[in-house]
Amino acid sequence: MRARTSGITAPAQRAHVLLLLFPLLALLLSGCGFNSIPTYEEAAKAKWSDVLNQYQRRTDLIPNLVETVKGFAKQESSVLEAVTAARAQATSIKVDASTITDPATFKKFQDAQSQLSGSLGRLLAISESYPTLKSNQNFLALQSQLEGTENRIAVARRDYIEAVRLYNTELKTFPGSVWAAVFYRGNKPMEEFSIADSAKTVPPVKF
Amino acid sequence: MIRHAVIAIAAWLCLTCSVLAQTAPTSALTFPGLSGRVVDDAGLLSVAERDALTRSLAALEAKTTDQLVVVTLKTLQGRPIEDYGYQLGRAWGIGQKDKDSGALLIVAAGERKVRIEVGYGLEGTLTDAATKIIIEDTILPRFKAGDFSGGIKAGTAAIAQLLAGDAATTRASPQGSVPAERRHSASMPLWLVIVLGLAGVGMLIVCTVMGGRGPCSFIMQILFLMVLSGRGGSSQGRSSSFSGGGGSFGGGGSSGSW
Repeated sequence: MRARTSGITAPAQRAHVLLLLFPLLALLLSGCGFNSIPTYEEAAKAKWSDVLNQYQRRTDLIPNLVETVKGFAKQESSVLEAVTAARAQATSIKVDASTITDPATFKKFQDAQSQLSGSLGRLLAISESYPTLKSNQNFLALQSQLEGTENRIAVARRDYIEAVRLYNTELKTFPGSVWAAVFYRGNKPMEEFSIADSAKTVPPVKF
Repeated sequence: MIRHAVIAIAAWLCLTCSVLAQTAPTSALTFPGLSGRVVDDAGLLSVAERDALTRSLAALEAKTTDQLVVVTLKTLQGRPIEDYGYQLGRAWGIGQKDKDSGALLIVAAGERKVRIEVGYGLEGTLTDAATKIIIEDTILPRFKAGDFSGGIKAGTAAIAQLLAGDAATTRASPQGSVPAERRHSASMPLWLVIVLGLAGVGMLIVCTVMGGRGPCSFIMQILFLMVLSGRGGSSQGRSSSFSGGGGSFGGGGSSGSW
């Protein structure tokens, strides 16, 4: 079995070994997480655009909702104005893919959206005391869409947090930290949503 | 010798990394097994009703490729039904993978909650408003009267009608229907296994030529192990005739309680 073929010279053997080692090296590199940082980065960015989509969907629903409620409960102008103002505030913040590595803008965005969540919660709470509004078909449809959108926002946020957790962990732990220090120096950790979203709890309605 | 040891350690580290990277994150929730299109964990349906439902759901998939699954639960494990629902849909992978065309009708008997969970791809058909109307007008009145099987049947029929209606209007562009069987969702894609196998055969030849000394035989062992670990994940057989197509959920749909 050990019989060496005399026809092959030593340099030719070395070239063969190198040729075979190259794909092996590539495999081992990817096994070592060389691709993990860009992969997780793209995944987190995709989840972030999901989050933005769902918030945008909510923003688009609000004018219709405000108009519908206005038709039945004009006297609640302060609540209606609060919603409109919060919506304007939230849409005034420019967000894009770079926001996730920009703590200041990210915080502003999150604060504005939770402000909007709070005032929307108040709006839905007062609608409980208007029976004709509550039974209005248009309002019911809007209400179910808004509930669904809030739920989608929650899911999108959780998915985003999970994706960012993977990415940030990869940046900080071995072997990702090695690749980050050598090849991905420009990659910054991404911002997470704070789970304790106190503004999301609807304040009690006082009469 | 030292060089060989360094190479060996580096290779071992890399192998460990790649194995570790494949372990999936575990969910805190436990889900019932996907025993069929109707998973009656809470025992609200008779065997005959379950079989009839299963047949109509299979017919729906044959017609539209959409997967609708009815599930009754004893408990939501302390979670809101919205939270539980989408995670259950994802865990089971209901709906075709490339279309996310799955939906769940979830009845939580203990919490007296019902939800229609809609996969990403069906959100345009089963809109929040449409599912709310089905729940409020079709399901809840029957549930309130204690008629669970009637509510489930009528609700399923209403959802199926919407899905079938949508499929009829979008049938203009016939796409090849995707088979429901689970594809190679395994840890290592087939091409990688082939490449590894070829590399292994190549190494075998070179090593035989060289006489099988030094790092050569070691690298061969590693390749062998990698191929083994890659195949290991994908060799699980399917235990039931029905399985999810790999669709995903994003919280669409609506809920109600009785």
